[in-house]
This record gives sequence, C-alpha cells and structure tokens, in this order.
Amino acid sequence: MDAIIIETIVKAALVIAVFSALAGFGTFIERKILAFMQRRLGPMHVGPFGILQIAADGIKLFTKEDIIPQHANKFIFMIAPIITAATAFIALAAVPIFPEFTVFGYTIHPIVADINVGILFILGAMASGLYGPLLAGMAQANKWGIIGSARTAILFMSYEVVTGLSLLAPIMLVGSLSLIDFNAAQTGGVGEWLVWQQPVAFILFIIAGFAETNRTPFDILEHEAEIISGYATEYSGMRWGMFFIGEYANMITISFMASLIFFGGFNEWGILPGGLAILLKVSFFFFLMLWVRASWPHIRPDQLMWLCWKVLMPIAILNVLITGLVMML
Amino acid sequence: MSLNKFKDRNVGVQNYTLIEHEAFPQTGGEKFARVLKRTIKGELFVGLWVTMRTMILALFNGEIHTVKYPFEKLPISPRYRAIHDMLRLLESGHYRCIGCGLCEKICIADCIKMDTKYDENQRKEVTEYTINFGRCIFCGYCAEVCPELAIVHGGRYETASQQRASFSIFDDMLTPIDALKEQKEYPGFGAVSPNADDNIKKTPLAY
Amino acid sequence: MEQIAFYLFSVLTIGLFLVTVLSNNVLYAMTSLAAGMVLISGFFFLLGADFLGVVQLVVYVGAVMALYSFGMMFFDATKDIKEKNTSSYLVFFLSGMIALTLVIMFSAPIMGENIIASYPIMAGATNPQAVGLVLFTKYLVPFEVAAVMLLVAMISGIILAGKKMDDSLTTKDENHEEDDTFSRKDIK
Repeated sequence: MDAIIIETIVKAALVIAVFSALAGFGTFIERKILAFMQRRLGPMHVGPFGILQIAADGIKLFTKEDIIPQHANKFIFMIAPIITAATAFIALAAVPIFPEFTVFGYTIHPIVADINVGILFILGAMASGLYGPLLAGMAQANKWGIIGSARTAILFMSYEVVTGLSLLAPIMLVGSLSLIDFNAAQTGGVGEWLVWQQPVAFILFIIAGFAETNRTPFDILEHEAEIISGYATEYSGMRWGMFFIGEYANMITISFMASLIFFGGFNEWGILPGGLAILLKVSFFFFLMLWVRASWPHIRPDQLMWLCWKVLMPIAILNVLITGLVMML
Repeated sequence: MSLNKFKDRNVGVQNYTLIEHEAFPQTGGEKFARVLKRTIKGELFVGLWVTMRTMILALFNGEIHTVKYPFEKLPISPRYRAIHDMLRLLESGHYRCIGCGLCEKICIADCIKMDTKYDENQRKEVTEYTINFGRCIFCGYCAEVCPELAIVHGGRYETASQQRASFSIFDDMLTPIDALKEQKEYPGFGAVSPNADDNIKKTPLAY
Repeated sequence: MEQIAFYLFSVLTIGLFLVTVLSNNVLYAMTSLAAGMVLISGFFFLLGADFLGVVQLVVYVGAVMALYSFGMMFFDATKDIKEKNTSSYLVFFLSGMIALTLVIMFSAPIMGENIIASYPIMAGATNPQAVGLVLFTKYLVPFEVAAVMLLVAMISGIILAGKKMDDSLTTKDENHEEDDTFSRKDIK
C-alpha cells in the first residue's frame, strides 16, 4: 500500500516535471519549425541553435512583474491560469506513456492512475481546462478578454460533441474505455491499427483535438490579429506562462491520445521498441499541429460552429451508426 | 479639358485584372456541393506541401532569408543619403572644403554651422564645422551645391546615438588620413555623372 | 481514508454551493458552481463508480459553461451587484435546514447498515457495462422517455433558433441589405 502511494507520488512528480519541461521545449520547437517554414532562422543566439532560449524565457517569465489590473476580479484572475495548467496535468495522469518496464526487478507501469474510464477522464479533465480561459477573460475587466471568453464558450460547445462522438466508434470496436485496453487491442502490428478501421473517426478526432487544444485553424480564443490576445490580454509573467504550459501539455495529451487510440500506441513497431515507437508517433502529431499552424489560415467562430455542428457531428453520428451496423451483422 | 480629367488620380497605365470568383452558392444543395468539392479537392494538402517544401529547402538547401543584422548588413544604394562624409584631396591629403559656405547657405533645415579664417597662405581654413543631426533632414542639397565635392552623403545609416556630437564633429566625418586610399568618389546626389566627359562641350567663344 | 476523503469532499462541496447561492458576484457564483459540480464527481469516484463520476464531470462542465455564457451576456462580471436580504425568516429557515441536513448526513451511516441493495454489483462487469445493463433492462422505459424528451427539446431548440438561419450576417455576397444596415448605423 505504502509502496503504491510512494510510486504514485513519484510518478506524478515526474510527469509534472517532465511535461512542464517538454511544454517549454515545445515552444522552442514551435518557434524553430515555424521559422523554417517561413524561411527564417528562429531563435539562434542563446546556446547552440538557440536551445537555451527556453531557459532565458523561463527566467524572464519568472522574474517579470505579475500585473493585476485595477478593476479585475483579483481572486478569479489569479486562479484562472492555475486551472488551465493543473487540468492539463490531471488529464496527463490517465495517459499510459510508455510500455511497462522493469527496473531492479520492480515492474513499473508508466501511468499515474490507471482508471478504467481513461478516455472519458482525459476528455473531461481537458474540457474543464477551458474554464481557465473562460474565467480569465471574464475576470480581467477587459473587452478583448470578454470576447475571448465568449469565444471559449463557443469553442467548447462546438468541439465537445464531436470529440465524444468520434471516439465512440473506436470505443465500440474495442469495448473498453481504458487506453491500456486500446493499446492491447492493437498489438498485431501496423495492420491492426484502428486507423484503418476507423479513418473517419480519426480525422474527426484530430479536427476536434485541434479545437480542443486551441491550435491554429481554430485558435479563436486568442487570435492576435482580431482580439489582441483574447483571454490572455491582461496577463503577464508566470501567470501568462502557465496558460502556455497548459496549452502545450494539452497538445502533448492529444498527440498521445491520437497515437494510443488510432496508431497502435506503444506496441512494438517493426524493429522499433514500443517506447521509441510512441515517442515517434507523438512527435509526429505534435509536429502536425505546428505544420498546420504554419500552413493554414484560421477560421471565424461562426465557421467553427458551422463546421462542428453541421458537418462533423452528422458525419460522426453516421460513423457510429455504420460501425454499429457492421458490428451487429 | 473637362474637370473630370483632373479628378482622375489614377496616374499611369491600369493593368488591373479582376479575379474570377465562383458564384456564391444560393441553395443548400449548392452549398453542400461546394463543401464536398473543397473537401475532396485536397486544397488543404497543397498548403501543407507548400510549407513543407519551404522547410525542406530552408533546412537542406540553405534557403533562409534572414539577415543577421548587426553582424551582416544588406548593401545600400550608392545614392542613399545617410550621415555626411567630408572628403580629402587625393594628392595632398588636405580636406577638400574651401570654406565657401554654400552648404551653410543652402541648408533648408538650417543645421550646418561653419566658421572660417584665412590661414598663413591666404587660404580659407575651416575652424569649425558642425551639422546638427537633430535637425538635418538628409535632403542632399549640401552635397549637390558643393563645388568641390567635399561634402557628400556616406553610408552610415545607423544614426542612433547618445549624443548628437557623436556624428557632427568635422574630424569624425572627414576621411581618416590613413584611409585616404580607400576614399571613394560619391556617385550620388550632386556628383559628376559617369559620362561627364562626353557631355563637355566647348564654350562657343568665337562670335 | 475513505471517510476523510468523503468529509473533505462534502465540506468543500457544500461550502462551494453556499458561495453559489450567497454570492452577489456572478463570477464567484458560477465558478463555485462549476467547482462544486467537479467535486461531486469525487463522490462517485469514492464509491467506485468511475464511469458515472467521469460522466458527471463531462456533462456538468459543459452545462455550467453554457450557464457562463448567459452570465456573460447578462452581467458585468467585475462588478458587485448590491442586493439586500430583507427576510430574516428565510435565513432562519435555511440555517435550520442546513443543520437538519448535517444531522441526517452524520447519522446516515448508522441507518445505512440496514439497507440491502436490491441490484447488487454484478461480479465481473466493469463500470460502464454495469451502467448499460441497468439502463437497458430495469430503467429502459425512463431511459427511452428521457431520450424522446431530449429529442423534442433539441428539435424545438433548432426551430426556435433557426427561423432566420438562412440569413447569415457574415457570409453575405455583396447583398444590398448589408449596405442598408451600414447606412442605418451611420444615421444613428
């Protein structure tokens, strides 16, 4: 009992440490890749290839003044970024990161909490993460912030249905809500990946995932050209940084979910061991998010609603129906 | 000529082409058809490929357009009018300025201030020459009016400084005596044109 | 362990819902409502009903988000709304009811020993499966009725909202009406 508690605490601490560092590294990778896609160099001066820019930015964010606007609702203003960051890590708790391995004769399951409704838990935790932007926008006594939080509500109501319905079809196929069961269902190599059986569900999930993580085609919450910075307009210093850690942790979570549910998870992939395979897949999905950001324009809120409610949701329902029919026959 | 002609401010040749828009879908069926067409056509993947190609070229072909500015600078036009240079005579190394004061007179921003006296050879010597760069508008009249091509515009365009005096001391603008060999004639505003020799005509003296 | 967690959750939940009821600031009220809803899912987790807990989380997060958008439209979130509570009888009544609830809560474990579950947890069935079995056998009729009601609500919502759905304000293609609205605004 004590061993499990200690193990869980160690795992939780590791997840928080590693993924907040990875989130920082994600900002660096994003800047570099966007730069190359626009024929620029990106950060170059701090450290080799500018890699220490993360440390420089971190020091800057930590030491910057934490400004709270005069008429803002101070308490809500202060806790809003914490909600975003915390829920992002809570969502990561139910993600099996690597295959289990043995150290000193002690088998380690690299998942903080193996609850048997993992997928729903992750979705719920990530959904409550959107309270961060919502509260931040409403608390800061700034009109851009209000618009940002109104758009948060729009975004949330648009993508949430699509995410759930798109994942329903694979859940029906596997018959479980646990990500580990999903992984176990795809042990037979590339041919058994769920994406071949459920390509439509995968596309829908990726689109909804982009909306969920507030990435470019749907980054309506804080689109700089339209609403300054949306919900983050009045934020500075570490509170602003926490929004970003949350956003990047969410991106990593969505990448993990896409790889685990549709792309075989951490099973061995040809000659690649499982740990490396999932790292590759997650890196690809992370890269896809940056790639799309460099390539595509973003859409208006009404277009997002139109897309989600009038296009994606019917397709998702049809997909679920057809999957059910095929399974029954 | 009618008044209309004056009001037409579109000077020059108009070569505008109207981009052909598709007709906006009216009925639900047309809208659906458009959505379907755009989905299947794969336009989005074209966009993805464009950025990917750019990234591949940038990474492996070195096609990066960044200029690391303080370390490398883009060449500027020879006719660019930046901080002034005072040139020297190539033979003697003496400064070219003869103290005529034309630049002081013509300066429309009233920023050139000079003082002269006769030296022992009864030649005008410049005792004081300053340009107030807080006022200078870099119009180039001084370089144009200078009969000796003594004051010209140089290429120092980084004009941020803690004090104006950093730019406006005569000795700073003057070509250093050891860099006399590198001194180049100014091809810009007020300079002799490259084909000046051909344009010289004999003064018709014989009436 | 479980008892500590239960009392912690219950104190927090009740406190948060008290804030919801008593606060004058819409932002505090909404936030504590959402947090209370999230904490209620903790009870489900404590009872081993993971599925219901997560469903509580997902559903109420969305529902309160919708409430937020109404709150955003109706109130200025950063201002306190001055309210006067005139009825002291109400305060007496409410505090009495809270005291009663607390007594019932603390005495519930003693009473609970006599209760025998009429539908005990089936061995081997996981959480979602158990929920599904109960929903589609014992509670099939209420489930279907609820589904029909939701469908009716959805259709009526679409009809109410969708009367002018064809006139999009943003995607007009050089219509004259657009010019009219602009000029009308200018006149104002």
